[in-house]
This record gives sequence, structure tokens and C-alpha cells, in this order.
Amino acid sequence: MIEILGERTIACIEEFGRFGRFSAESFRAMVHTLFHPRSYPLVLNQMNIIGVKSVPVVMATGAFVGMILAIQAYGQLASMGLEERLGVLINIAVVKELGPVLAAVMLAGRVGGALTAELGTMNVTEQIAAVQSFGVSPIRYLVAPRVLACLLLTPLLIIYADLLGILGGYFVSVKQLGINPGAYWNYSAMGVELWDVSTGALKGFFFGGAIALISCYKGFTCREGARGVGEACTEAFVGCFISILALNYVFAVVLSAVYKTFWPLRPLI
Amino acid sequence: MTQKKMQPEDGILVVHNLTKRYGQKLVLDNVSMAIEEGKTTVIIGPSGCGKTVFMKHLIVLERPDSGEVYYRGRRIDHLSERKLVPIRRKFGFCFQMGALFDSITVYENIIFPLRQHYKITDWKAVDEMVKQKLALVGMDGYQHYYPANLSGGQRKRVALARAIALNPEIILYDEPTTGLDPITSDVINELILKLQRELKVTSVVVTHDMRSVYKIADRIVMLHHGRIVADGDAEHIRTHPNEVVQQFIQGKVSEAELEALRLGGTKFPTQFMPEDFE
Repeated sequence: MIEILGERTIACIEEFGRFGRFSAESFRAMVHTLFHPRSYPLVLNQMNIIGVKSVPVVMATGAFVGMILAIQAYGQLASMGLEERLGVLINIAVVKELGPVLAAVMLAGRVGGALTAELGTMNVTEQIAAVQSFGVSPIRYLVAPRVLACLLLTPLLIIYADLLGILGGYFVSVKQLGINPGAYWNYSAMGVELWDVSTGALKGFFFGGAIALISCYKGFTCREGARGVGEACTEAFVGCFISILALNYVFAVVLSAVYKTFWPLRPLI
Repeated sequence: MTQKKMQPEDGILVVHNLTKRYGQKLVLDNVSMAIEEGKTTVIIGPSGCGKTVFMKHLIVLERPDSGEVYYRGRRIDHLSERKLVPIRRKFGFCFQMGALFDSITVYENIIFPLRQHYKITDWKAVDEMVKQKLALVGMDGYQHYYPANLSGGQRKRVALARAIALNPEIILYDEPTTGLDPITSDVINELILKLQRELKVTSVVVTHDMRSVYKIADRIVMLHHGRIVADGDAEHIRTHPNEVVQQFIQGKVSEAELEALRLGGTKFPTQFMPEDFE
């Protein structure tokens, strides 16, 4: 029993070590890509696949989040006569937490799954070995453009999700539930600060990095056969999902500490 | 069989005391071999004997647990990926299933190595080069096809054209005729001979197709359980006294295996027969 536990712990630490090395190599390759314009077409191509094609699903996610929040919270607030403050509740929840996290989860499913399946299939059909056999670094050619595209575009996609979340919440609150639009926006503007929107988008940078690195790593290390690729996709999605939630927790702790320390000083700056 | 001590200068590629394990399994056991420049060396052996793993060590796609690999007298197995780049450019590797990049066309596959190592300015010359390489393997006109739209034999031929795109000194072929019909296999064999004659390349071929072996080999090396059991020309292998070698080249099943089949019967425990569903 203890032996099995020990073996699994060692295997887990080894896996983390390999992932750490893979991430470090990917970062080196990304820096190289940034300074070599010849690689830009690869990055732009991935930006189209990863970013542009994700816009509709991310916007739909955001819109539904805003609309559902409006429906769920209206009853609670109306019972206290605070329904005009619905806007601040919806908008702060959307830009701070639900927009970034749910957009990232949606990306983990859409982009992460596709990246793992694509690279996993390339791995089992020896296409990654073929890249290497031509004296080309597979991490530089395959991973760096994908990670860069995810890093750069996830914050933008989160802003799209936020926008649609805000609009969705507005339409349900004002058009369907009949809340005064002036009061709705006033209370929202009072409650939601630039800090909330920008930290929400900043999270996207880290969520995007985590999604791309985990998915590419799982694709690169996937086992042989269709089952191997399937397992790698599942592991990649679970890994991305847990990482998004864990990173979000870390962000919540760190950002609230930073906010409490520095935000009251902003008139001085 | 005793193996003589190899010197790094004995051939264009020299492997000395190569050992490789995957977990508990010993795949290559102290293998030493020198590959002569300009010749076709064929490595034969039953499936799972370590042939492909051995070949991947030649281009350092695998790193040995112990032992060394030399290219033109220079040790390469311990070099970093960056330092291996100029060496790998001297090699062409033709993978077993072709390993063509399936999201790009045949044309883009062929120019892939060029594009990665050179800044292409004269696209007309590149078009001409692609046409020439594809014509060499009988595939001119397929430039705009995707690999998914090609047959197995066509994919292998395109993979061969891609492997020679950088005019390599050494071409490594991993089971080039496996899974192909006899005629297409012969076309591939003729191609290997043609490349050998016209480009004067050194070829290393891994296969278990004995018809191919006799047709293309200058030298045949047989691996069994990760060790070299026979090494010589076709005549030497044909008359080799080792029973394992004779069984392999004649494609004969051993008495022990026959006995195991007899004892096991014809119905395997996991095999369903029609009556199971009635």
C-alpha cells in the first residue's frame, strides 16, 4: 500500500518536472518566435483558428451568463426592494469572475481539446518526429505559435464575453423585468471599476497560457493509438479546468490583497 | 557473435556499444556497427527486435542509455537539439507510415524542410525543385493534393520526395514497403536503387520484406532480441548457419511455435464464433 502510494507520488512529481521543462522550453521558443518575423504567419494562422473562430461561442457563453444572473438574482433583490441594484450585481459578477472563468472553460473545451487531439494525432503518426528529423524544433514550430495565440487572444475573448454578459443582463433586466434603465446603469457604474474589468482580462492571459501549455503537453506525451489520443484529450480538459479554478483562487487572494493595499492610494498617484 | 571494436572513422555512421531500455525491456543490447558511405545497408529482423529504435538512434531521435553514435567521426548522441540541426540536415528520414503533415498539401510538405532552413526568394526555382523531386518518385502533378487523398503507396513516395528535399547524404528508410502490394513495393525498391545511383546517397533501410532485401542490399545486418546475429552480403546471409537467421529469411515458423499453436487449438478464448450468438 505504502509502496504504491510512494510510486504514485514519485510518478506525479516526475510528471510535474517534465511539464515544467516543457513549459520552460515553450517560453524560450515563444521569445524566439517574437523576435523572428518569419514565424509570424504560423502565429497568425493559430490566432485565426484559436481566437477568431472562438468568438461566437465565447460571446454566447457571456450572454447566457448575464441573462441567467438577471433572472436568478431579480427575485432576491426585488423582495428587499433593491431590484434597481441588479445591474451592479450582474456586472461585477460577470467582469470579475463568471465572464473570465466561463470563457476560459469554454476555450479549454473548444481550443484545448482540439490542440491535444491535433498534436496527439501528429505524435502517434510520427509527424512530430518528422519535424524533428528535419532539424526543426517541434516546440518552436508547433507549440510556440499555439501558446502565443492563446496568451494574446484569451484576454480579448474575455472582454467579448464580458461585453455580451453585460448586454445580456441589461436586456433581461430592463426589457423583460422592467427595471429603470437609468438606475440600472447608474448603480452599475458606481459598483464596477476599471480595476475589476482589467483584472478580469488579466486573468485571461494566465488562463490562456495554462490552457495552451497543458493541452500541448498532453498532445506531445500522448500514448499510442486512438485510445491514447482520447485519454490525452480527457486529461488535458480536466487539467485545464482544475488549473483555471486554481489560478482563479490564487488571483482572488493576490488581487484582493493588492487592491486593499494600493487602490485607496490611487488619488495620490 | 562477437563484435569487433568500432572506431569512429570506420564509416560515415558508426554506432558503438549502443544499449537502450524501455522500462524493464532491453531493446538494444550492446550493438556496434559501422555504416559504409555510398552503400545500402539493410537491417532485418522480426517485428519488435529493435530495428526502428536502432535507426532512430542514428539521427538521434532517440538517445541511448549507453554507447555512442558518430557521424563522420564526430560524436553526436550527446549533442543538444540546437547543435544537431546542421547534422540532421544531412539526413533524410522516410517514416514507416510516411508521416506527411496532413494539414498541408503535398507541395507544402516537400518545401517544409527548405522553408525552415532557408529564406525562399526565388519561388519559381522552388516550384521547379518540387516538380523535379516529385517526378523522381513518379508523383509530379500531385502538388495540390492533401495526404488524406493519396493511397498508402503514394504517401510513401511523397514522403521519399520530402526526405530528399534537402539533398541529404544519408537516407534512412523505415519499412518502406510494409503494407504495400507487391507491384508498389517493387516501385519503391526501384526508387531506392534509383536514388542510390543518381544521388550517390548512403542508405539505411529497416525492413522484414526479404524480396526488397535481396533487391536493394549491399550489406544485410540481422537483429534479434536487440543484438546483431548476422552481418554480411546476401550470399553470406543465405548460407548463414544460425537457425534463427534461416528461419527468418525463409519465413518458417519454428517447431516450438508450431507446438504452441497445436496446444492452443484453433478457438481462442477471446474469439467469438457465430454459434456464440445463436
